[in-house]
Amino acid sequence: MISLRGVSLIYPNGVRALDGVSLEIAKGDFLFLVGHSGTGKSSLLRLLYHEQVPTSGEIIVDGIRVDRLKHGRIPALRRHLGVVFQDYKLLTDKTVWENVAFAMQVTGAHTKDVMRQVPRALDLVGLAHKSRMFPSELSGGEQQRTAIARALVNNPKILLCDEPTGNLDPANTTEIMELLLRINLKGTTVVVATHNQAVVDRMRRRVVRLEDGKVVTDEERGYYYLGLGQGQILSG
Amino acid sequence: MDWGKVKFFLGEVLRNFTRNAGMQATAIGTVAITIILLGAFLFVRATLAGLGNDILSQIEVSAYFTSDATPHQEAQVRAALGRDARIASVEFVSKKRGLAELREQTHGSIDTSLLTENPLPDKLRVKVVDPSEVPAVAASIQKMDGVANVVFPQTVVARLLALGGVLRRVGIGVIVTFLVVAGIIISNTIRLTVFARRREISIMQLVGATNMYIRAPFICEGMLDGVLGSLIALVALVFARLWLWPKLLLALPWIQLNATSVNGPMLSLELVAVGAAIGALASWISVGRHLRT
Ligand SMILES: Nc1ncnc2c1ncn2[C@@H]1O[C@H](COP(=O)(O)OP(=O)(O)O)[C@@H](O)[C@H]1O
Ligand SMILES: [Mg+2]
Repeated sequence: MISLRGVSLIYPNGVRALDGVSLEIAKGDFLFLVGHSGTGKSSLLRLLYHEQVPTSGEIIVDGIRVDRLKHGRIPALRRHLGVVFQDYKLLTDKTVWENVAFAMQVTGAHTKDVMRQVPRALDLVGLAHKSRMFPSELSGGEQQRTAIARALVNNPKILLCDEPTGNLDPANTTEIMELLLRINLKGTTVVVATHNQAVVDRMRRRVVRLEDGKVVTDEERGYYYLGLGQGQILSG
Repeated sequence: MDWGKVKFFLGEVLRNFTRNAGMQATAIGTVAITIILLGAFLFVRATLAGLGNDILSQIEVSAYFTSDATPHQEAQVRAALGRDARIASVEFVSKKRGLAELREQTHGSIDTSLLTENPLPDKLRVKVVDPSEVPAVAASIQKMDGVANVVFPQTVVARLLALGGVLRRVGIGVIVTFLVVAGIIISNTIRLTVFARRREISIMQLVGATNMYIRAPFICEGMLDGVLGSLIALVALVFARLWLWPKLLLALPWIQLNATSVNGPMLSLELVAVGAAIGALASWISVGRHLRT
């Protein structure tokens, strides 16, 4: 579903954010991208939705050669992807319903599809009863669930999350993680960049660790730190 | 027809439009002033050009035959002029009729009875289709056999033609300046709304909206500025035409200004179209600049 081969990214200011990254993510995978701040997690995700173009290497997302994508084809790529951020990126002057519908309306969806899909997405994230509220009237977790509903409303095959729980307390974090898992169980490929050790260690999913722009470990059912659970690190 | 789409789209345009009312009013006002100046200018230009053309169209070229020109030569010249597409009409004035006309014009202040013979040559009175071709036509008649000299009010023609040229050039300069100024102000207005909506635009891009789709509401907003501005201008121009213009004519009775040479409805339509076009073009440019960066 997602494939990176020898991908490097050097920003115009000379920072080498990614250095020869190769990674295969299968359809239906749930993958944590972990590592300290500044190791290139966000940069890697940005490459996948063509916010950045790699300096070298090959990127394929859902059959699309992203590293060679023509400008006019970017919208088509992004309709295959849902993206969620730490800061939710909701429109404050639109209701929950309008925020979710927005993603369909601006891609030219028919109104009858909007009317069918939006309630479905809101049901999935458990916000149907708050659809008429504005983001300022919601908790952080609810705002993030709205953002997830928006990311999913176009039925993407892939969901990319950049520190989705970075602004949330533990209870809301658990809630969001359970939601992401549910979405994954329905067949969506989910990639979560995070530096939340507790979440990663509890979920026991595939963990890819970046250090200085390089993949240093890649484990099925891994921990935040290679082979070690939280308790062992603390006691060791 | 998907009315939900239409409603959403118009809602977005309206949201843009009302977000920055002060700036919007500035843009509309600028367009209005631009279009008023443009309309007044076009009107004055058309009127002056009409006046010049009236004078020019009455201008005659007189071609005098040599005193020894044979009737055959004269007939040949007339035939040649008759074939010339630049020439509207040719009238033959015999020396006898020429004298009669002279008597009439001078009201007897010259005593022609003293003349032992008619000193006037035969002549042709020629009217030219396009006044700007008068000098060229005169020159080509001059070259024909049996023609002594060709006379037309040279300085009047030259001045009127020069005036026409100046009006045209100044006109284009003034119009282009107006349009550029209005375009810059609209484009700044749109830039402000683009800036105010940069979060929305980045979300649109994130979820896969095409640039065309992102642009559309801004283009409409610019066109709305342009159309509203020109409508205000039209009201002012119609008022000026119906109310001020007759007063001006009364104040300047010696000038024969003929405003009917201006096609009012057509000009109005053109002005609104120009307003809409600057609006659309200016916002196209300013959104495009944002999308590329
Ligand atoms: N737009 C940018 N321009 C220049 N350098 C950047 C940019 N974005 C990120 N970087 C740099 O690239 C490196 C990786 O950043 P990032 O991908 O945001 O890491 P992470 O998400 O793991 O914290 C950092 O050194 C960061 O300073
Ligand atoms: Mg990051």
